[in-house]
Amino acid sequence: MMSNSTNNSNSNSSHREDDRKESNSTLTGVDSRFNQTLRNVQGLLKGRSFPGKVLITRRSDPISDSGLRSPDIDRSFSDKDAGTSEQLDDSVEDEIQSNSKTNSSSTKSRSLTVNTESTSKESQKSTMGARATDSARLTKFTKALSGPTVILDKMRELAWSGVPSYLRPTVWRLLLGYAPPNSDRREGVLRRKRVEYLDCVAQYYDVPDTERTDEEVTMLRQIAVDCPRTVPDVSFFQQAEVQKSLERILYTWAIRHPASGYVQGINDLATPFLVVFLSEYLEGSVDNWSILDLPLEKISNIEADCYWCLSKLLDGMQDHYTFAQPGIQRLVFKLKELVRRIDEPVSRHMEEQGLEFLQFAFRWFNCLLIREIPFNLVTRLWDTYLAEGDALPDFLVYIFASFLLTWSDKLQKLDFQEMVMFLQHLPTQNWTHLELEMVLSRAYMWHTMFNSSPSHLAS
Amino acid sequence: MARRPDEEYDYLFKVVLIGDSGVGKSNLLSRFTRNEFCLESKSTIGVEFATRTLQVEGRTVKAQIWDTAGQERYRAITSAYYRGALGALLVYDVTKPTTFENVSRWLKELRDHADANIVIMLIGNKTDLKHLRAVATEDAQGFAEKEGLSFIETSALEAINVEKAFQTILSEIYRIISKKSLSSDEPAPASIKEGKTLVVGGSEVNAKKTCCATS
Repeated sequence: MMSNSTNNSNSNSSHREDDRKESNSTLTGVDSRFNQTLRNVQGLLKGRSFPGKVLITRRSDPISDSGLRSPDIDRSFSDKDAGTSEQLDDSVEDEIQSNSKTNSSSTKSRSLTVNTESTSKESQKSTMGARATDSARLTKFTKALSGPTVILDKMRELAWSGVPSYLRPTVWRLLLGYAPPNSDRREGVLRRKRVEYLDCVAQYYDVPDTERTDEEVTMLRQIAVDCPRTVPDVSFFQQAEVQKSLERILYTWAIRHPASGYVQGINDLATPFLVVFLSEYLEGSVDNWSILDLPLEKISNIEADCYWCLSKLLDGMQDHYTFAQPGIQRLVFKLKELVRRIDEPVSRHMEEQGLEFLQFAFRWFNCLLIREIPFNLVTRLWDTYLAEGDALPDFLVYIFASFLLTWSDKLQKLDFQEMVMFLQHLPTQNWTHLELEMVLSRAYMWHTMFNSSPSHLAS
Repeated sequence: MARRPDEEYDYLFKVVLIGDSGVGKSNLLSRFTRNEFCLESKSTIGVEFATRTLQVEGRTVKAQIWDTAGQERYRAITSAYYRGALGALLVYDVTKPTTFENVSRWLKELRDHADANIVIMLIGNKTDLKHLRAVATEDAQGFAEKEGLSFIETSALEAINVEKAFQTILSEIYRIISKKSLSSDEPAPASIKEGKTLVVGGSEVNAKKTCCATS
């Protein structure tokens, strides 16, 4: 556990940080989340410099000890991690070179310098070992979940840096406001919601086509075209029953949300919920799952949970899928502005080449990056998404800027056509949690820096 | 710095791929540009992009092809890409009559958003699914004649007529462009881009890796 003195040393900088969480965080909450993020980065950087002036002292721990992964994840990914740590070092180095050029504006350096002090103190203490932190975090989660009422702000703060996989179904239901924080009401609410979903399916989905309008027939046809090509690279999603579940969820959602209806890509958004809620009943790797091992009643409960969680998630992004998708267009514009503030050379290069952000970032926002990273990393990414809650759309801009600028140096060497091709087929196939943590940590830092001066983004 | 030899071209032609969802637009594109077919392909979100440089009527032509999402909701996004396109491949699925019925709606889209003299080719894809055919060749042929479109049937899966389809539309575009530049005494149309410095990285390798060949 980190000592309180470390937290205190951060508090002078956190006045700025807490703007972003006006509604749901206390000073200490932001502090500890920020520290957690820094700890992640320390593990990843191993003494390298970070954008701007931050210096993080060298850690002797092996890189695989740094994460916050649950024991499960550790087991399944440790081989991969070991194999790619060298590659990560390279990419991190590229990153730093590219960013150090750009982060020279005085405001930015100032805020970073404040962080620097706490960072180095922090890292000295954190050399005590990340394993201890892991079990401490597990204890925190367990404790936060065990009370009669879950404090959601506390839960968000914990979940932001990753949820242990076996607690993920419970935590996600809470974060999305699907399960109530009061433990004595929880079972009853879930039971009622699951029945309600079944009623909806019976009312809207289980009817003959003759009872549907032309639009509804078209929509169902579109969904039926898309279900077989949803995450096709994960064989589990090729099982007919899985595709049927997906079809029921999507059609029922679409019918009940006529302003947007079904939009391609929403099928992708349902998949993290499916694997997470199925993981409560199916063991081992997704690749070996068979949905037929589950009784029908379980499947329909899982489906209901997916439906309601998908609904909750999309409630926060209503205009992302309505006509002309204005919500996405707005965020793509914000992303462009933010990248210009953070990395002027890349921004100028893209502009000179005539590359428009809409040409690559549209899909990022539309599918929340599911298409861009390996599927086994998606649930970890979504821990952070769901922890952000109502602030998610704005925070996506920071995550995507961080994601894009992973290839800052590379992009500057490409012309228009090469850039479009590169950005539509990003080389993330071998990514592990480490690269993802890097993206998230940097997004957090940038959000902290830029949100303190909103005029940075006014234009 | 000079362009690399394999990046040299006389003309750059922008072409859009349009048509209903699931008719095989993305696979026509991957068959043409990379000679690949992906059974496990995902739906296209917004637009995707690929190029291929080839010989057309003795000239080196770089075809820059924009593959668009088929769902109606995306039209507001995708129609922006019609501007400046010299050609459009309008694809339907020979096994799905509704995708053929919607061809008129796509033509209207083009008339509303694309340049007036855009070259349009109608493509009936998936001829490999012989036992499922539901749109007769003659019907499509007749429709194409009436609307003044060229027409071809293809199978992206079996690589039948894909090359020919692209060759045909690019030749047609070339004939129109070269006629135009003769009459106006302008040596090159506006869409030709020259003198750009290129540093080629690993993007092509990456593009290949992402296909289903690996899984």
